[in-house]
Amino acid sequence: MRLLAIGCNYRNSPLELRERLAFDETKLALALEELNSRYDCETVIIATCNRIELYLARPSAINPPDPELVTEFLAECHHLDRSILAGHFYQFHDAEAVRHLFRVVAGLDSMIIGEAQITGQVKRAYELAKARATVGPLFNALFQRAARVAGRVRSETGLSQGHVSVSSAAVEYVRQVFDHFGDKTVLVIGAGKIGELTLRHLRELQPRRILLTNRNLKKAVELAGGCGGTAVPWEELDHVLATADIVLSTTGSQEPIVSRERYDKIQARRSGGSVVIFDMAVPRDFDPQIHDGDRTFVFNIDDLQRFRERKLQERLKHAAGAEAIVEQEQQRFITDWNRRRHGPVIARLTEEFEAKRKAIVSRLMDRLDGRLGAADRAYIEGAFRLYQNQVLHGPISALTEESHESGGHTLLEALAKLFRLHD
Amino acid sequence: MPLERITLFCFEASYLLALVLEIIQMFQPRPILRLMGTACGSAGLVAHTLFLLNQPLSLSSQYGSLLFLAWILAVFYLYGSIHHRNRAWAVFVLPVVVGLILLADVNPKPSDGPGILDLESLRGERFWRMIHGGLLLLAGVGVCVGFLASVMYLIQAQRLKAKAIPGEGIRLLSLERLEAMNRRAINLAFPLLTGGVIVGVALFAQQSEISLANWHDRRIWGGGILWFVYAILLLLRYGIHLRGRHVAWLTILAFGLLVFTLASQHTTVGGLR
Repeated sequence: MRLLAIGCNYRNSPLELRERLAFDETKLALALEELNSRYDCETVIIATCNRIELYLARPSAINPPDPELVTEFLAECHHLDRSILAGHFYQFHDAEAVRHLFRVVAGLDSMIIGEAQITGQVKRAYELAKARATVGPLFNALFQRAARVAGRVRSETGLSQGHVSVSSAAVEYVRQVFDHFGDKTVLVIGAGKIGELTLRHLRELQPRRILLTNRNLKKAVELAGGCGGTAVPWEELDHVLATADIVLSTTGSQEPIVSRERYDKIQARRSGGSVVIFDMAVPRDFDPQIHDGDRTFVFNIDDLQRFRERKLQERLKHAAGAEAIVEQEQQRFITDWNRRRHGPVIARLTEEFEAKRKAIVSRLMDRLDGRLGAADRAYIEGAFRLYQNQVLHGPISALTEESHESGGHTLLEALAKLFRLHD
Repeated sequence: MPLERITLFCFEASYLLALVLEIIQMFQPRPILRLMGTACGSAGLVAHTLFLLNQPLSLSSQYGSLLFLAWILAVFYLYGSIHHRNRAWAVFVLPVVVGLILLADVNPKPSDGPGILDLESLRGERFWRMIHGGLLLLAGVGVCVGFLASVMYLIQAQRLKAKAIPGEGIRLLSLERLEAMNRRAINLAFPLLTGGVIVGVALFAQQSEISLANWHDRRIWGGGILWFVYAILLLLRYGIHLRGRHVAWLTILAFGLLVFTLASQHTTVGGLR
């Protein structure tokens, strides 16, 4: 198969290194074309924030792509010293490379097991390589099969069931309180990164309006511009808290910004229904005593993390089933690929024997012309056909058997050489 | 099967079996269990419908009104089971349906008379009695739905108070949805209850043999208090905008009064039959 998968991921390389190895779209396209032309191989590069992986294959060559050269290329491409990469790269060959790709695409190798994002990222990596014409018959078949593996894992196991991010946990909680969101107001206090991510999830619920407040109004205005919200001066916090239905708080304040006493006064001014507060700040922004489980629900970062961990545990229960699918699909792919590759050789071998048999039988029949009846002629022709089948049975069976086990490359070459099929 | 052979036990057992399957399904979620539960519930509803069509039951009789109320709630159960497939619905509605049938079962079955479909006999006082029974029956539906929404609301609120993981354990509708269901049920029940009580009082006052002592009838008192509780509920909700747990508890109290009223026999005039 002459397939090589080489790369690094969140497990064996620090974020700083992955950042330095990151590809933007232009760089990625150039790298694909360069690898393809320099090493004469099919090439796909999967570059995400958690992994940089290069898939290279030379299905018809004798030698696979050299991992040393590929690492050297990567260092050259990113203007890095090669020694920096040492010890951070893993490599897989042939069947193992196929298995690795299937595990990656199914989310089994992801930081958050079962995450679906990687399936799209692998698909995009393949499509980009296809657009740059750096894929051939092997990668066309391999990446299409990879997409099927991801689909099977998703539909046949619970590996990707539910959401496991902290921000999606917030959405799950909010759905337990509210039924519709077209009349709801979301208030974001502060400008924390996690608040931004959660807001992105909450925006999918299409709330009526989004309000943002920050001690620094300029920052609030900037954030509001990015999410289609309205910036509100910090001094109006109490007023907007009295009208908000969902609150996301992520300030960096060292003291709670809303005490029980302050909130009681705000609550007295509220005319709406329940309010759900996601206090994602550490230290907390809201006094936890505000949570009454009736009109006010306060969830802090620990509550959301607890949800995330439980969901991850549930997903892990399905990992064995997903691994079994990967194993099965890997074997199927290798068998199919080898059969596809051996097909023309077997056909040629059969054709050559067929032609030789017919020539010999024809000469024999000419010499015995007039001395044989129709039944004798049929018997002789049948005997020669049987002989041909028995001679070919051995090599064809050996090829088929080997295609189940490994690449079958040596045997294929030996057969081609022995029977002069290259000629 | 001849319709006469359909008994109360047939549909009661079907509903019970559906309830058992739904409870098992809650702990061991399997689509087949839910399907079997819904099938049993549907079979019960069919038997229940045929039973009501075949029996000359009057809405103004205790036995008849309980069975009609149970039938409407069974329709409500089936609608919810299909509409809110992934939510715990049947485990709340079916016990009320079964409870109402049991309550009907322990009550004396009225002697044969004109049924709900016997339109010929609906004249004069009998017509008004039917109106009285019908209004109270529909108000009863509102009270039951309000009760179910309130129980679910309290459980969901408790889960949220305890910060239970969403999707784990019992799965319920959102608080907002349950509150809206309760609000609609109260809004529906109160005018019907008011109309039913007015017609009932007018009918009662017409009875020549009634003395003041008969006003001690438990059913009349129960109905009166139920109306009063509902008036308070409306006042609390729309007057002082009370929401949440308080309203839920009051709705549950109102349901208790409804059960009390339904379980009580009219001690006068043969139950206004």
